[in-house]
Amino acid sequence: MGLKEKYHEYHRPILGMASVIGLILLWELTLTYLIPVDPFFFTKPSLIGTAFREQLFGERLWRDLAISSRAFIWGFSLSVIVGIPLGAVMGWRRRVEYTLDPLLTALYASPLVALAPLLIIFFGVGLLGKAVLVFLLAVFPFIFNTSAGVKSADPLLINVVRSFGGKELDLYLKVILPGTFPYIVAGTRLAIGRGLVGIIVGEFYAASEGIGFAIQNYGDTYRLPDMFVGIIVLSAIAVALTELLRKAELMVAPWRAGEEIR
Amino acid sequence: MTGLTSFYREKEAYLLGIGFIVFLLALWQCVPLLITLPRGYALFFTTPSRIAATFYRLLVEGQIQEHFYVSVAAFLSGLGIAIAVGLPFGIVMGRSRTLDALSDPYVTALNATPRLVWLPLFILWFGIGIWSKVMIVFVGAVFPLLINTYAGVKNVDRVLVNVVRSFGANEWQVMKVVVLPNSLPYIIVGLRLAIGRAILGVVVGEFFGSSKGLGFMIASAASNYKVDVVFAGVAIFMGLSLILTLSVKKLENSLARWRPEAAKNF
Amino acid sequence: MVPCIQARDISLTFKPKNRDPVTALKELTLDVAKGEFVSLVGPSGCGKSTFLNVLLGLLKPDGGEIRLNGKQITGPGQERAMVFQEFGLLPWRTVLANVELGLELKGVQASVRRERAMELIKMAGLAGFASHYPHELSGGMKQRVGLARALVTDPEVLLMDEPFAALDAQTRDLMQLELLQIWDRTKKTVVFVTHSIEEAAYLSDRVIVISARPGRAKDVMKIALPRPRDYEMRLSAEFNDIKARIWASLKEELVTK
Repeated sequence: MGLKEKYHEYHRPILGMASVIGLILLWELTLTYLIPVDPFFFTKPSLIGTAFREQLFGERLWRDLAISSRAFIWGFSLSVIVGIPLGAVMGWRRRVEYTLDPLLTALYASPLVALAPLLIIFFGVGLLGKAVLVFLLAVFPFIFNTSAGVKSADPLLINVVRSFGGKELDLYLKVILPGTFPYIVAGTRLAIGRGLVGIIVGEFYAASEGIGFAIQNYGDTYRLPDMFVGIIVLSAIAVALTELLRKAELMVAPWRAGEEIR
Repeated sequence: MTGLTSFYREKEAYLLGIGFIVFLLALWQCVPLLITLPRGYALFFTTPSRIAATFYRLLVEGQIQEHFYVSVAAFLSGLGIAIAVGLPFGIVMGRSRTLDALSDPYVTALNATPRLVWLPLFILWFGIGIWSKVMIVFVGAVFPLLINTYAGVKNVDRVLVNVVRSFGANEWQVMKVVVLPNSLPYIIVGLRLAIGRAILGVVVGEFFGSSKGLGFMIASAASNYKVDVVFAGVAIFMGLSLILTLSVKKLENSLARWRPEAAKNF
Repeated sequence: MVPCIQARDISLTFKPKNRDPVTALKELTLDVAKGEFVSLVGPSGCGKSTFLNVLLGLLKPDGGEIRLNGKQITGPGQERAMVFQEFGLLPWRTVLANVELGLELKGVQASVRRERAMELIKMAGLAGFASHYPHELSGGMKQRVGLARALVTDPEVLLMDEPFAALDAQTRDLMQLELLQIWDRTKKTVVFVTHSIEEAAYLSDRVIVISARPGRAKDVMKIALPRPRDYEMRLSAEFNDIKARIWASLKEELVTK
């Protein structure tokens, strides 16, 4: 294969990488040679790089990450445990859906983050307050996507299984569950985004540790390079989780590649 | 009797849904009658009737209006800038493969990360005031708009473009007659998501980077244990979100007149 | 007399990124007289549709010359209009607005184009459906809209790319008959691409068999059946004879592929 064909094949990642490298160079050179600026208000890639190295071998970053992850995992697990069964019942029983849908839709559409100050007062600035906030934000995608998945079960397929003498259990295992899976994975992706918002707001608001607190604290103390390290680390985690879930979506449901659900 | 049952059948979804909300509110209202809360908890507790009374008092005193205007100003400016930036960029990214590839890493990374992480930086740069809020609203709202516009432009049917070209249409006419109408439903969905993100930005921006606005009102009331005021503020944000979301949904449906029934809810 | 359409040694190779180039047309030569109805038949992927797009001016050939009334074709023009296989109706426009498209793009005044479009809607048998959206129409009606839209600018040449392939058998028979009537009335030059030997034989003055890829004009058959033609004629021995001849020529292409 010639060089030109190689370029065509990888043209997207090559251009993407080039543009990132280009921006970093431009940023660095501009602040070094063209407009030397106040280091309290601006920073440049080389300084961020140094800070990154220091934090990577330091203790604080890892401790912060561990603390944030714990609250996140607690809240997130709770939203899975509550959201999926609730969504399944809503999708399967019409009356349950009628009863819960308006309330849950209203809550889903509202900025529940506005409750954060109250939750923090109620449950404290530690693990519990943050976990509750994460749960409150992350539970809705699970509920709605599971419900949509169950409802999407094709009546034709249900009849096919029934016509072969399938029992109720077969119906759940062979038709409804596989059909719901891609919806739940897509819901997980949305829930991760919302859960991260919960962690960040919780830690901005009233915390003394955690990655969100660190970002805010570095900002308050004008340590911009360190603040950017926090943002980049969080970004990298968010991108990794999102892309992982995208891959998972393709894996569990290759037939609906790229389709957006809710 | 039969009239009543058929009325119930017809309105079952509505009656059950609203009935449940009313039931929950009534239950909440009755909690103090049913159980005696320990002293420490009573401080944090309130009832719907007290919230409504507080809401009314704040409204009469003009406090709500004062904070409301500040929040709305930040919301509208941030969302406006997001529309002005997101739509053209989305179109250009959808039409040019090179620009698409060049900007893809930033869009992916920025979209996956909660945009709130930028708040401390914006407060540092713009101080505590409207501009840090406008910026956080903007970065929140711009990506759903950009990404949905991009998707709408990308999903244009090649055949339709060829049809219009076959009548001798130039690039601008292809854009006007095919690309934009095709993207419109996507853009409206993007707008609905953007409104949610923008309100989130206002709330959080005012928690930390403001001395006015509904978010500030909530945060300062919470730190003084004025639970009624917190709920009154939350109720306003809820109402605002619902009204805006529902109007955009309406817009979605009216624009979807040309689409077959099944595809309307995409 | 100069033929209406003159194609000389048309060649076209697609060079998709990441994949091997595909030669769709190779030295394809054919003439179409003014007012003539010509069908192109050939195996799948032989470049028939590609050739139509060259005629339309959406694709530029790598080699050869293509002329319309002696003038080189360099791009789309209002003397030519296409009827598409997948209808290609703009889903967000009503029937009327879809038919008006060609005039609108030419900048014709709204009232004038409306009147003209209504005329064609009536001619296509769609009276009463002007304000319907495409998704409310059946396949046959959609293609009537496609036909009315192509005719609205009063083109000299009508290009039809398997226009009835997506329709059910009865609708297809009906549409063929109506197309013949419209053709008889309007005296357009028609270049018609189809998979169906029967359709080609029934409609055309001449049938041109295109070879398997790369496509060239392999055989030209004159269909000397009297006009106007009707459905009964399709049952005659003469008609079956013609079909057999086309099939014999086409079969070799299918086998080699």
